[in-house]
Amino acid sequence: MTDPLLSVQGLSVNFRTPHGFVHALRNVDMQASAGEVIGIVGESGCGKSTLASAIANLLPGNAGIAAGRIRFRDNDVLRLDADAQRRLRGREIAMVFQDPMTAFSPVLTIGQQLIEFQHQMTGIGKAEKRQRAEAMLVRVGISDARLRLDGFPHEMSGGMRQRVAIAAALLMNPSLLIADEPTTALDVTLEAQIIHLLRALRRDYNGAIVIVSHQLGVIAELCDRVYVMYAGEVVELAPIDDIFHRPRHPYTQALLDCDPARLNQRGAVLPTIAGEIPDLTALPDGCVFAPRCSFADDRCRVPQVLTYVSDAHAARCHRVQP
Amino acid sequence: MSALLNIANLSVCFPLAFGLMDIFSPRRERHLRVLEDVSLDLGQGETLGLVGESGSGKTTLARAVLGLVPRSAGDIAFDGEMIVGRSEGAFRTMRRKAAMMFQDPVASLSPRLKVGTLLVEPFIIHGEPVASRRETAERLLALVGLPAAFAERYPHELSGGQARRVGVARALALNPRMVLADEPTAGLDVSVQGDILNLMTRLKGEFGLSYIVVTHDLALVRHVSDRLAIMYLGRLVELGPTADVFRAPRHPYTRALLDAEPIPDPRRRREDLAIEGEIPSILNRPSGCEFHTRCRFARESCRNEAPDFTQDASGSAVRCHYPLE
Repeated sequence: MTDPLLSVQGLSVNFRTPHGFVHALRNVDMQASAGEVIGIVGESGCGKSTLASAIANLLPGNAGIAAGRIRFRDNDVLRLDADAQRRLRGREIAMVFQDPMTAFSPVLTIGQQLIEFQHQMTGIGKAEKRQRAEAMLVRVGISDARLRLDGFPHEMSGGMRQRVAIAAALLMNPSLLIADEPTTALDVTLEAQIIHLLRALRRDYNGAIVIVSHQLGVIAELCDRVYVMYAGEVVELAPIDDIFHRPRHPYTQALLDCDPARLNQRGAVLPTIAGEIPDLTALPDGCVFAPRCSFADDRCRVPQVLTYVSDAHAARCHRVQP
Repeated sequence: MSALLNIANLSVCFPLAFGLMDIFSPRRERHLRVLEDVSLDLGQGETLGLVGESGSGKTTLARAVLGLVPRSAGDIAFDGEMIVGRSEGAFRTMRRKAAMMFQDPVASLSPRLKVGTLLVEPFIIHGEPVASRRETAERLLALVGLPAAFAERYPHELSGGQARRVGVARALALNPRMVLADEPTAGLDVSVQGDILNLMTRLKGEFGLSYIVVTHDLALVRHVSDRLAIMYLGRLVELGPTADVFRAPRHPYTRALLDAEPIPDPRRRREDLAIEGEIPSILNRPSGCEFHTRCRFARESCRNEAPDFTQDASGSAVRCHYPLE
């Protein structure tokens, strides 16, 4: 296998808060190769958005990298100076956020913004940039693309704004596209359309795509490989089919069991995961999931390591045997 | 099953701002017709799921039932009593027996009041005497599985699931017979969603409640509701027992909604697109059947003639010229 495009190694991120340090990410390893669609799934507070922000180097001011590195191509992302980081984000790494409204300035037209996003593209004129913007809008399925360029973000529906946000992200032909909950704010019919669009795009896109979502359905529809996160750790990683059909970590199993979309029969009681996510300022010594795990025993009191059951499938649980 | 709530031909429309230029365009719509001619019953002990995309009018319907938005036409009868007039007073008696769980649980709780105060607020609003505020708050907290100490907390100190539980407790304060739950699990993690729904199911049994659950989450209503009502552009387009609707949807829109749900199984990925386009503006309602612009089965007559909401003997109904078999 060729070197991965993106490689996160032993990344730990802390947030300074009035209540002490929140250990939001602990020793996270992750890889993405060109042509792959990676899913990062977990519940709120599991660190999936922190990981996405760290890759794009967009962590908030109170966050500190405690350990680890992020390699993108030949760059050590965390060591680049501010200018180089910005260039990397502008050209190579693009992000699509959950709320498409906040991705745009409300006072500029779509066209002005899509032209501005290409400011690192030297050597071509404004007219050509406008043409590229229009072509990209057509590609993401915006009708009347030319007219839309002169419109403002508020004139568009949520689904259309998300399409435009994807167009904006792809304008510079980045080699890494990170989509943080790209369909969460949308209705189910529009969600299906955005999933459809992302799938169509990947056919003639040779970069890597990272999809961050709490929705198992979205992950199943889109991704090739999945990282399951819990309380700041990767607890399982596997090819998509293994995650859904041969999950090895008790948390992954419990998460799948809770999804009402997987239950075909109406039951009296819906499955849940008892307990709450641990306090990330004061973590237990052993397995972070043990307090909620129905299989927990004495062996869970020590920190767990990722155990590989196959080349690409690993789970952070002592019950997993290679 | 005798009906607890009867809604007959309920419509809600809001007047639009009228400017000088409108004189020159006399055909412009002057009213926003949010809810059009909705008729619906809710049985004793029944859970009805109200489903549709944003802008379909499902939340407006729930709010109109409680008089939180004024109706422009139609009748509402609760527990056999017709609600006369549109004033606050007309609905006050009913609101004692019919409570609302609002969509955003944190935003619907005043940030300046402690949970304990918030829980006795319904009694104060309705002028019900409360023997001991503390005991009342503790009783309600226990009901929804929260420790008594939560009475001293402020809403911002609660997690999403806890705030939702406080919302449930507040709705149940006055011993209602009907609860309207607007997106009861929106914004919650899947592991917590089940908790809230199980709580609602348990309380339904304990108190003999009837629910109207407003949601866009089909997987959720499938597990909690007895009947489903599907809305599109402020109208009911399909009504029927939940199992029947899921097994054999009759309206093409219902079918498209079911098909659009992402399936958490990579072996069953959908390759085709269930539905194209977006929900049209209610300022510019399509002619004929209002769904024809997005319907893959639309024929000529669908563009010109509006279909009726025809109900069959079993109580199922569909608004379509050519219902699916």
